[in-house]
Amino acid sequence: MNGDDPASRQGNGRRQRHALRQHWWAWAAMALVVGVVLVASIDTSPSRGVSEQRRYALSVQLKCLQCVGESVAASQAPLAVQFREEIDSQMRQGRTDDEILAFFAQRYGQEVLLTPPSSGLGALVWVVPVVVVAAGVLGLAGVFARWRREAGARASEEDRTLVAGELARRHQDRDPEPAGPRDPDG
Amino acid sequence: MNRALGLAGLLVGLGGCVIGIGVLAEGLRRDRPHLLRMGLPYALVSLAGAVLSTIAMQRALITRDYTVEFVFDHGSSSTPPLFNVAAMWSALEGSILLWGLVLAGFTVAVAWRFRRRLEDPLVAWALITMFAVGVFFFGLMLTAANPFRGVVPPVGYDGPGPNPLLQNHILMAFHPPMLYLGYVGFTVPFAFAIAALVTGRVGEGWLVETRRWTLLSWGFLTAGIILGAWWSYEVLGWGGYWKWDPVENASFLPWLTGTAYLHSVMVQERRGMLRVWNLSLLCATFALTILGTFLTRSGVVESVHAFSSGSVGPILLGFFAVIVAVSVGLIGWRGDQLRSPGRIDSPVSREGAFLANNALFAAFAFVVLLGTVFPLIVEAVNGERLSVGVPFFSRMTMPIGFALLTLMAVAPVLPWRKGTGEVLRERLWWPAWGGVAATVFALAVGATGPTVVLAFGLAGFAAGSAIRQLVLATRRQGWRGLVGRANGGMVVHLGTILVAVAFAASTSYIRQAEVTLAQGQTSTVAGHEFTYLGSRTVERDNRVEVISEVRVDGGRVYEPRLNRYRMGGMTIGTPSVRVGPTEDVYLSVSSTPDPVTGEVTIRVIVQPLVVWLWIGGGVMVVGTVLSLFPGRRRDPTAPASAPVAERGARRDAEIVT
Repeated sequence: MNGDDPASRQGNGRRQRHALRQHWWAWAAMALVVGVVLVASIDTSPSRGVSEQRRYALSVQLKCLQCVGESVAASQAPLAVQFREEIDSQMRQGRTDDEILAFFAQRYGQEVLLTPPSSGLGALVWVVPVVVVAAGVLGLAGVFARWRREAGARASEEDRTLVAGELARRHQDRDPEPAGPRDPDG
Repeated sequence: MNRALGLAGLLVGLGGCVIGIGVLAEGLRRDRPHLLRMGLPYALVSLAGAVLSTIAMQRALITRDYTVEFVFDHGSSSTPPLFNVAAMWSALEGSILLWGLVLAGFTVAVAWRFRRRLEDPLVAWALITMFAVGVFFFGLMLTAANPFRGVVPPVGYDGPGPNPLLQNHILMAFHPPMLYLGYVGFTVPFAFAIAALVTGRVGEGWLVETRRWTLLSWGFLTAGIILGAWWSYEVLGWGGYWKWDPVENASFLPWLTGTAYLHSVMVQERRGMLRVWNLSLLCATFALTILGTFLTRSGVVESVHAFSSGSVGPILLGFFAVIVAVSVGLIGWRGDQLRSPGRIDSPVSREGAFLANNALFAAFAFVVLLGTVFPLIVEAVNGERLSVGVPFFSRMTMPIGFALLTLMAVAPVLPWRKGTGEVLRERLWWPAWGGVAATVFALAVGATGPTVVLAFGLAGFAAGSAIRQLVLATRRQGWRGLVGRANGGMVVHLGTILVAVAFAASTSYIRQAEVTLAQGQTSTVAGHEFTYLGSRTVERDNRVEVISEVRVDGGRVYEPRLNRYRMGGMTIGTPSVRVGPTEDVYLSVSSTPDPVTGEVTIRVIVQPLVVWLWIGGGVMVVGTVLSLFPGRRRDPTAPASAPVAERGARRDAEIVT
């Protein structure tokens, strides 16, 4: 997929038109459009009050304790139905989402929440991936930095002759397809 | 009779593998080519054994031979023929048999493909590895998971049939075999990786040999996962298709590492780098298929798919430990030879992008694995019970998904070696506008929520990039611009983007409600009108169906039903879905008609773009097939480009030697 850049193969007129692409303000305009769209898309529907949406959003965060691997939203088990009714009644009392979830956790134990806790041993499930990814990124950055330092080494004359020879050989016998399967370690 | 045949088949299969290992090992030790050529015959012997066992099992299922315990437990005279065939993989022992069959098939395929090179120690070691895996599975079937265990049935006994959930939809006949073809297929590149490590030929040769095998397995795994999601959408009755269930995760984990490998392998082919990493990814992928089987088949995690069965768990865990130990040991042993000759010149380059891709996929796999086993760990440590469910996975994987989409947009236009801002701005111009247009379009059609709109924007960006590549390639090469790895890969990207968009839209904009309707009554949910017309009952061999007729929007009548299975008395719904290009209307019955009032409760779920999940999956499979065809061939060890700079000259020289 190399060398597929149209601009590199086209005339000057085309290149001038493509000059637009190199201006920072053209890209800033794009960012501006996206920014405006994102702001315009902010959902302003209330997070309180009784609604089907809100009941669903809460019930997918609760585990159905009578079923195997299903949420309260998915299940038709009696306990799940009862949970949904409880959510309705709590919503009518004007409780917030957090209060409703805390209510269930208090009554049925932490297990009922499909979201792991943010404190205690359970919080590790949130922390460990972040730490591992951060360590990975730092490690990679370190490797890159080392490679860049070591990149100072220069090619010897011998190296260059070798490359030139090999390239010449390849350009010479550039038949359409190398026939047959290649030797694995050739 | 069936038991005897089946057991004989297992013994033949095991014998073929054991003797195959012995003969090949002897041939390698004494350097006897005629012994090494025996790899193919022994592979055929083990396949013959597996086929014999499978025939015996199918025969037992078809003839309802209840002296076979597996049929006793999972067969039934009332199971329809197709599901009777599929009953084999509806439970542990039969699914291990399917595994053994597919594995033996792959072993023969490898031996046949390399039939002219059986004397090559690399091929011999690969076959030994595959035979060793075969020994494990045949051994497992002869001990802890014996599909042909006998039982004396009472007179007039009729079995319960497979779990009703598994005989409710035709996809059950295809989803597990596809998944197994994917799982087991990864044994091939794993075997060649082990062979490369043992023989010390850790160069790029074995990679080139196994590239298509890996791609093929990946394609099967992708198809299997998508079919599984489709099955759960069509059967489970809650409108969902993916809920981060441990078994779904178990199939997703090898998919993630396999996908990472398919990308990073290109860096190794091209630049000779990342050797240890690629070997590790392959070993991890194979090990994860075994770990996944352990997690789901040992009953340690609760899941709809889990069928627990005594001693199989520890054995699988032991096998997993052996694989990890052997892989780590071999990689450590060959450490010095694995040092890569090449270096990455700049992070802003194709290889840099592949590296970032791998970091993201590795992080993805880590999050999924941790989330899956975390409840077990916590319970083991302090007895506390907690759940790690959908909210965790959505929150943790969303940023990774965003990063992957961004990378999918940027990486295809990056040159190898070193890219510049100028090149990026030049090539990303139209893709970026594609992203902008996607956000504007999403807003115009009523999308809300900045994160979802941003996801659509990134998807548009990535799709623009893939389309740009395909347009350029087809302009240059005609139809050949659609085949080959790079171009086929772009088609796979487009499929992935469709899946991502459909996933984001359907999970974010799902609306659902439960309505209780009397006959003739109409209710409105999410802008759609539902009229309940009445119910009728249909008696079938294995179940009683209560069918509710619901007219949607004054048009067609849909018929969600409740099936009550005669055996076990389990009631399972079959939803009815109005599939549309922009939106699915999903109806499932929650309760049978009330005997007094005649009212039924119907659950209505309206989700946008769901159908694009399946279409996207199809596009991914098509793209995989396109990638399997040879594109513009390139010698993998040839210099990537002419020596334009001193630094470049040095790199190329290193790779050529």
